[in-house]
Amino acid sequence: MSVANTLIHNFLEQSAEQYPDKIALIHEDVRVNYADINASANRLAHWLIKDGIRIGDRVALIFENSLEYVVGYYGILKTGAVAVPLSTDLKPDGLGRLVSELEPRGIITSSRFERLVQATDISGVDIQSLIIKDFKLDWHSASFPVFGWREVVTGGDSSNPDISINDGSLASIIYTSGSTGAPKGVMLSHGNIVSNTHSICQYLCLTDQDIQMTVLPFFYVMGKSLLNTHFAVGGTIVINNKFAFPATVIKQMVEEHVTGFSGVPSTYAYLLHRSPLEKYRDQLTSLRYCSQAGGHMSKKIKEELRCALPAHTKIFIMYGATEASARLTYLEPDHFTEKIESIGKPITGVTLKILDENGREVPGGQTGELVGNGPNIMQGYWRDQDATASVLDRHGYHTGDQGYKDEDGCFYVTGRKDKLLKVGGHRINPQEIEDTLMESDLVMETAVMGVADALLGHRLIALVAPKNGNCSENMILGRCAERMPKYKMPSEVKLVRTLPKNTTGKIDMFKCMELAEKNV
Amino acid sequence: MSELRDKVRNFIIENFLFGSDNGLKDETSFLDEGVIDSTGVLELVSFIEETFGIAVEDEELIPENLDSIKNIVGYLERKI
Repeated sequence: MSVANTLIHNFLEQSAEQYPDKIALIHEDVRVNYADINASANRLAHWLIKDGIRIGDRVALIFENSLEYVVGYYGILKTGAVAVPLSTDLKPDGLGRLVSELEPRGIITSSRFERLVQATDISGVDIQSLIIKDFKLDWHSASFPVFGWREVVTGGDSSNPDISINDGSLASIIYTSGSTGAPKGVMLSHGNIVSNTHSICQYLCLTDQDIQMTVLPFFYVMGKSLLNTHFAVGGTIVINNKFAFPATVIKQMVEEHVTGFSGVPSTYAYLLHRSPLEKYRDQLTSLRYCSQAGGHMSKKIKEELRCALPAHTKIFIMYGATEASARLTYLEPDHFTEKIESIGKPITGVTLKILDENGREVPGGQTGELVGNGPNIMQGYWRDQDATASVLDRHGYHTGDQGYKDEDGCFYVTGRKDKLLKVGGHRINPQEIEDTLMESDLVMETAVMGVADALLGHRLIALVAPKNGNCSENMILGRCAERMPKYKMPSEVKLVRTLPKNTTGKIDMFKCMELAEKNV
Repeated sequence: MSELRDKVRNFIIENFLFGSDNGLKDETSFLDEGVIDSTGVLELVSFIEETFGIAVEDEELIPENLDSIKNIVGYLERKI
């Protein structure tokens, strides 16, 4: 019997039917085919259902990228429950807050996060089961049942469960990275994610021949898309959790004949300045494309990346949001040079408009807020109606990003509405200052922010990780002075070894602000 | 050997473990145990370059050289 095609786990079920013996996942010594992953996910699902997990229950998943994450993710979805992948960077306070708002019936994790879970106050929540891979701690005094991973995925029914949910059913709650505010739980239905997955597969021209190097975490919406798109086409996911050592990643890309690589801006800054990419360039013969999303990447890095990659490797610049299941637009690689600052055009099924403050569409070339609409737009934020109402209306999802559309219909993001700074009498867009600093050729990465100032409103502070150790603050300020008017000049440049980041690789603006405010 | 080791160990404890050694052994894998991430590796590399006056080549950024105190000491002994 062939499986349906409207639910997220149907991707895995279809590929297991069509390519049972094909390697779906590679992680260090682990190489697993589609049939085995689907069977394990089915066993987990049947076990969870028997244990009392019901449609709509939340089940939290705390794993690094691994086979267990993948089995856990699809296994939860197969029960009709809501998969809630959580950041591997959470501390007990943060996990406690999320657990009390999510009220999960189950938590699935590994020994690496055992201490975190044990240190978290989850006493007020009715946990049906905690499943731990290779647990090492004593759980006898826990107020809920604890099970070993092996016992729930070994033996038992391995057939696809028959659960009556539809594409409107809630599938997943994905927390925003919280780089500009408290993390919010984005509710995505099966239909949201399935439609977005199909659109992404279409523009990346993904096939069963594609092999994706995955360094982004699956709990992050972009990492989740890499998993679902490749499982949708019967491709292969290569997990490498050692991007801290980029030479290891590049070497594996050559060995495994990887066809696709994806990253956020800092991924590429790191690859360009701290990896032997250039030396391996001629060996990356299979690398069909690289894709970038997760925020604005400076023109300088884009140009350097173009030079560093093999000529046959296409670069996809993309734009999206967790609230859009991942993707809203992409730039056709053929227009990469000509439209280097653009985020391209909406993907299939999505409309994007530039609206003014009254909700009216502005003429081409004029700046307003980017508002996206389509089957991929979230259902809302988990138990936060006010936050939902502030971004969702009849026009769609208000991204909070400012931008414009050119005469060819290509979109540009100029900055965030809430990040414009008042310095003296001027409105300053930090993104513009960051781009100018990057142009200096002295800077690996930078974050510009405003520190409150009684006289000016804000003082501009630039945190800069220089490319070379012998670079001074004055050298950078000197290069800035050649390129920008005085009122846009940072009051101060602070040199740091690297910018603080969260686990998705995005710059952590809270920690940056702490550094900027030190000794000011 | 022990002077190198102590300098490296103190740096790791001060910068990544907030001053408490948390049972850090010389063989503990920084990545497996979540001691440092890619941002941390860059800080570690800057520390090594500044403290020991060497240049860490991009190709040398591999776990075998930098993923534990023992590996770093071994790498430094080969390099210095």
